[in-house]
Amino acid sequence: MAFTLYALIQTAILFTNAIAVLHEERFLSKIGWGAEQSIGGFGDEPGIKAQLLNLIRSVRTVMRVALRSLKAVLVDLSGTLHIEDAAVPGAQEALTRLRQSPVAVKFVTNTTKECKRTLFERLRRLNFDLQEREIFTSLTAARNLLEQRAVRPLLLVEDSAREDFTGLETSDPNAVVIGLAPDHFNYQTLNKAFRLILDGAPLIAIHKARYYKRKDGLALGPGPFVTGLEYATDTQATVVGKPEKAFFLEALRDLNCSPEEAVMIGDDARDDVGGAQNAGMLGILVKTGKYRPGDEGKINPPPHLTCDSFPDAVNHILEHLLGSKQSEN
Amino acid sequence: MDSGLTVRFCTNETQNTREQFVQKLRVMGFDISVSHVFAPAPALVRIIRERHLRPHLLVHDGLMAEFEGVDTSSPNCVVIGDAADKFSYQNLNEAFRVLIGQEKPLLFSLGRGRYYKETDGLKLDVGVFMKALEYAGDVQAEVVGKPSADFFGTVLKDMSLQPHEVVMIGDDLVNDVGGAQSCGMKGIQVRTGKYRPSDEQHASVRADAYVDDLAAASHAILTVR
Repeated sequence: MAFTLYALIQTAILFTNAIAVLHEERFLSKIGWGAEQSIGGFGDEPGIKAQLLNLIRSVRTVMRVALRSLKAVLVDLSGTLHIEDAAVPGAQEALTRLRQSPVAVKFVTNTTKECKRTLFERLRRLNFDLQEREIFTSLTAARNLLEQRAVRPLLLVEDSAREDFTGLETSDPNAVVIGLAPDHFNYQTLNKAFRLILDGAPLIAIHKARYYKRKDGLALGPGPFVTGLEYATDTQATVVGKPEKAFFLEALRDLNCSPEEAVMIGDDARDDVGGAQNAGMLGILVKTGKYRPGDEGKINPPPHLTCDSFPDAVNHILEHLLGSKQSEN
Repeated sequence: MDSGLTVRFCTNETQNTREQFVQKLRVMGFDISVSHVFAPAPALVRIIRERHLRPHLLVHDGLMAEFEGVDTSSPNCVVIGDAADKFSYQNLNEAFRVLIGQEKPLLFSLGRGRYYKETDGLKLDVGVFMKALEYAGDVQAEVVGKPSADFFGTVLKDMSLQPHEVVMIGDDLVNDVGGAQSCGMKGIQVRTGKYRPSDEQHASVRADAYVDDLAAASHAILTVR
């Protein structure tokens, strides 16, 4: 028989693949079939074009996920694995299960109040299975930048974080580094930083988080202070932490992994998930820590997945994002 | 003042009450009465009363008297002024928590200056902390005081005059002169105070006249009419 069942299946797969590889920017948008170009408003009967567009979009989403081979998982710390000194229930066991799969795991954090060693010790105390070298912080990223530029920083960072900057010259500063330093944030110190920047010192922000969750409620992050100083001096800060693309790429660099082969799990829709997806990764938003209802609607595109907590995220990865044995890079 | 022209005083001063401020000026020899001085705080108090708001105040201690009689329990809005040393992490955090706890956050800023000059150097002004809270609370502040059109509008109403009949004299090119011009008034820049020579080549604001000081401005006005 000329037309066997096998030939039919082959054709179907090739056809699906063809749809899956249609490039959004280079092709679809150019011929008016892009995701944002479907016509017809609410309540209109979907026309043929709209239905076809939906089909294309669905195929691309499904196939894109299955075609990725997952090599690395980046996990946020505060709010995702733990909240202050308490672990998220089930997180330790979920991490162990994740480690049994063939992905590399790295812990990325914008925490600016603590040095790597403190973070590591806390996680060990909470029985998480990890190594200190698997932790990549925005402080590390900042230090790298200071060394590159060979500047002497005025460090507006918590005393406990200064350890990560040992070895750098800090007298007669010609650069300003802003982290989260509630104990040092006062009018006088801010004025000092302001005058240095006005004199030409570069402003380096560890990150620009708007706020974070403390035991006693929400608290201002470094973002507001950086924004204020930018306004005062009419300059732009160099931000080294999440959600900057550079941060995620730097974290993946020694894992020999492209962003498309990695997924990020975090509790901050904009900084964790939005930033990671912007860098080319998949993002999973967990509803713990600083998450507030509706956060998933605040980023575009929305998170690949929104789930209750870290253990659920791990389940999803193990069940749906691994096991694509067809394409190996 | 004796020319028959209506004179009013507009200031963004928020470290002292109008009374204290006027007192300071009288000691210097100026003939000024409180009812002719327009400052952000009284304008804000009017707004608060009109809209039945209860403010969380982050302002200089010297300004608190302007808010006497204002209900500040269970605040439903935040007010920041030039609080100087009171801009501590704790105080800012408290203000932030009020904002983030509201469904529709309301932030009032008494002015939006970036910095001002004091004897011991340049210091951050209220605008910096307004930007900080705007960013933190994802909210846009309502600015009360120069260069807000509403502020100038209040003064014009008090004078019962139209904008084209009024001229503003000030040292702050953007907030005094620019702000006045945006309302249809003329603006005269004096070369004192905050003035910098680069102001005469400003990208967007062009004063109607640049004069050395207030005396020169007054002379110019009286001779032109």
